[in-house]
Amino acid sequence: MRHAVEAARKAGADYADARWVLEENESITVKNEEMEGIDRSRSDGIGIRVLANGFWGFAATARSEDPAEVESTAALAVKIARAASRLAMDPVRLSEIEPVTDTWETVAQEDPFTVSLEEKVSLLMEASRRMRAVPGLSFSEAMLDFYRKRSALATSEGAAIEQTITHSGGGIEATAIGDGELQRRSFPNSFRGHIAAAGYEHIRALGLTEEAERVATEAVELLSAKDCPSEETTLILDGPQMVLQVHESVGHPIELDRVLRMEEAFAGTSFLEPGHRGQLRYGSELVNITADATLAGGLGTFGYDDEGVPAQRVQIVEDGVFRDFMSSRETAAVLGERSNGTMRADGWQNLPLIRMTNVSLEPGDGTLAELIGDTKDGMFMSTNTSWSIDDKRVNFQFGCEIAWRIKDGNLTEMLRNPNYTGITTEFWGSCDAVCGPEEWTVWGTPNCGKGQPGQVARTGHGTAPARFRGVRVGVR
Amino acid sequence: MPEPIGADQLRGIAEAALGLAGVDGVEVLAVHDWGGLTRFADSAIHQSTAREDTAVKVRVVSRGRVGVASTNDLSKEGAAAAARSALELTQMAAPDPAFPGLAPRADVPDPADRFDEATAAATPEARAEAVATLVGTCGDGFHAAGAHETTASEVALTNSEGQFCYAATSQATVSAVVSGGEGGAGYAEEWSHRAGDLDPEAIGLRAFHKARDSQRPRDIEPGRYDVVLEAPAVATLVAFLAYLGFGGRAIAEGRSCFSGRIGEKLMSDRITIYDDALSPGTLGLPFDFEGTPKRRVDLVAEGVVIGGVHDRRSAKQESVESTGHALPPPNPHGAFPLNLFLAPGDASVEDMVRATERGLLVTRFHYSNVVHPKEATITGMTRDGTWLVEDGEVKHPVKNLRFTHSIIEALRDVEAVGSEAELASEFFFSASSVPALRVSSFQFTGASDH
Repeated sequence: MRHAVEAARKAGADYADARWVLEENESITVKNEEMEGIDRSRSDGIGIRVLANGFWGFAATARSEDPAEVESTAALAVKIARAASRLAMDPVRLSEIEPVTDTWETVAQEDPFTVSLEEKVSLLMEASRRMRAVPGLSFSEAMLDFYRKRSALATSEGAAIEQTITHSGGGIEATAIGDGELQRRSFPNSFRGHIAAAGYEHIRALGLTEEAERVATEAVELLSAKDCPSEETTLILDGPQMVLQVHESVGHPIELDRVLRMEEAFAGTSFLEPGHRGQLRYGSELVNITADATLAGGLGTFGYDDEGVPAQRVQIVEDGVFRDFMSSRETAAVLGERSNGTMRADGWQNLPLIRMTNVSLEPGDGTLAELIGDTKDGMFMSTNTSWSIDDKRVNFQFGCEIAWRIKDGNLTEMLRNPNYTGITTEFWGSCDAVCGPEEWTVWGTPNCGKGQPGQVARTGHGTAPARFRGVRVGVR
Repeated sequence: MPEPIGADQLRGIAEAALGLAGVDGVEVLAVHDWGGLTRFADSAIHQSTAREDTAVKVRVVSRGRVGVASTNDLSKEGAAAAARSALELTQMAAPDPAFPGLAPRADVPDPADRFDEATAAATPEARAEAVATLVGTCGDGFHAAGAHETTASEVALTNSEGQFCYAATSQATVSAVVSGGEGGAGYAEEWSHRAGDLDPEAIGLRAFHKARDSQRPRDIEPGRYDVVLEAPAVATLVAFLAYLGFGGRAIAEGRSCFSGRIGEKLMSDRITIYDDALSPGTLGLPFDFEGTPKRRVDLVAEGVVIGGVHDRRSAKQESVESTGHALPPPNPHGAFPLNLFLAPGDASVEDMVRATERGLLVTRFHYSNVVHPKEATITGMTRDGTWLVEDGEVKHPVKNLRFTHSIIEALRDVEAVGSEAELASEFFFSASSVPALRVSSFQFTGASDH
């Protein structure tokens, strides 16, 4: 990496960083007890980012072992930065940082890439078999995904950081089709299950086979359930749905690059402004949200971000009041502050952007059973199917796999096709309960899109079930 | 700038994997792609990138079992190593009785003019100049954000059945959101094989005029409105309809919104939708990622649902031939149409506005997603220019609205189809060639504050 940084400096960069990244994936999918797909992939290369006369340039190549190619890529990055000066702009300034030399690695007890394929396939086949045994089920799918990223970062300021990140995930999905309906139940979460920064021990603890029959039974029962009615009601969301609620209506609007309109053309901006810190009421006093890159098990956990800033825990919302953004060295400098370390790139091919680390709703008190028991009339929704929110992250609508009516503290009638809609700060303002640590789990969202060219980030969210009053449900 | 590797060299690399001994079949997908993207915001270039990448994806078939391994080491050694890794996967995989075999040898059409050397070699300076032209169209108090991208790729598919196909393509896009003044924004985009065909000045002006004309948007109650949907908004409907409906495997398995409804007239007779990668009006490859030649597939003809697209797996399932719409393996979702067309009609947007007694003119939708897959109901927000239309005239801009509506219902209620189609994109989908539409009784279920 040092060679790449020196080449960029020689070509005229005032600042340069170089990241070598090797990503490895293994993915296995079983459908109706047959192999649907089994594949492995690897990709490595180097991305070189430079500042020249206050403008950014970035170039990347897969031929990272060829010194001449690395030199020409570094020179191209500088050429790109110079071309950017065609339009006037306040020169980019970077907030201060203490360059470090360090290594960091995910804590994984059992390397998922060394566990035999036979064992993995056998687990998925058994889960699929148990789901398929439920009469009326159309499809039973089971899947495992493993991811490893090795990276080395060097900067012209002297940082030299090597990191190894390991993620493991698995899940099951049962699909029932009939009478113009397609109903799906997933476990432990939708969109390929529960993914964590961990080794294969995480898969062993998921209980995929143990939950298979229940999941399949619920999918079939949903076919004959009533549609979620259109009404305003008290709504309890389970932890996995709270993940999407936090991700879309808190995680994205607190990205400082969105606030500064750097993402306006594609993903959009934010309703938040710098002056809102310490002033804006984001939610009720029960709402406490953190962005914590040090959280064990989170997909947004690392030692250092892709600018070499140490992982941090940042209070985003405290007792309902908005406190801070997620920032980078460039955006923090605009506010005259230091970066809180959230810059990450998708692979080696892309430049780092502000990405969610682990944006979590901090736990409150009590169990889910107690919360339902405390609810006279309302609805309980579980497991996300769909998300949509406007370009400033104000008006949202989410769909879930399943809901139950709550009457006098008990779950009663099952409801299909549930969804709900709201306005971000009004919704969080209506939160009157968050379950406690015993219900709190760090979930993974491996498919967060942002940027041009499009990048995908792996983010984490700690959530517990929570209750909201006066929510509009059943949008048709 | 990188240059094409060429068919011969890619074939030579693939043959290193085809030499894998003791297996029933090997398929090698080799890709070399490069390009640059100049991204701007606040009327300045803030993120500008270039990259060159390669990929080798090897699918090995052994004793009825299938494994796939990929690497970005585009060398004979890399291909051979990926083949060995895929073989290892087959040894642990269960048999795949539905595997249809690798594509047989077949001639692939050669649509001329898909690769433009100037676009493949476009410099950051040239992209910056185009962006400067676009930004220069913004009036005082307005600022532009967007991206100008130039890319090129080579794709080669080689298999042990003797099939070999190769194509080089280029692509250029420019898109812009202009905003400012006292609130309001406008959007425009353009796609081509050739960067030289793009008109950044026209795109900038179109987005600026929309931003200028959407100042001080007013509140409006959600409800059912007749709508004039411009091409980018129509692209959202068509892309999601493809996702929910046109996959041959999804139709066969009952997952599609068209399962059990093939042959039914579900939409207005003004609606004809087809996929045609070979048309000069689209971008992309003349073969799919299994090496099957692409061909035109009629999906909806004058409102009647004709069918879906197939890869080899769903074709075998349905006892038909693959239409050449396979995605790279492994692909549990099945075939997908990447070159969609909604056939134009005979109305202009102005005609449609004039014919609207009370309704909304919509530039585009944002962050849409599925509400009910079998009814093809989706939800999303308007963005970058929405206006109230009364008595055939655009009255004033309105704040963004949330729609929740069935695409099939919308295409059933089409009153007029635009005479000019354009390539327009929907977030993560490829661009479709679509005209504007006038649709009656389109349902908006919520509102935002801007």
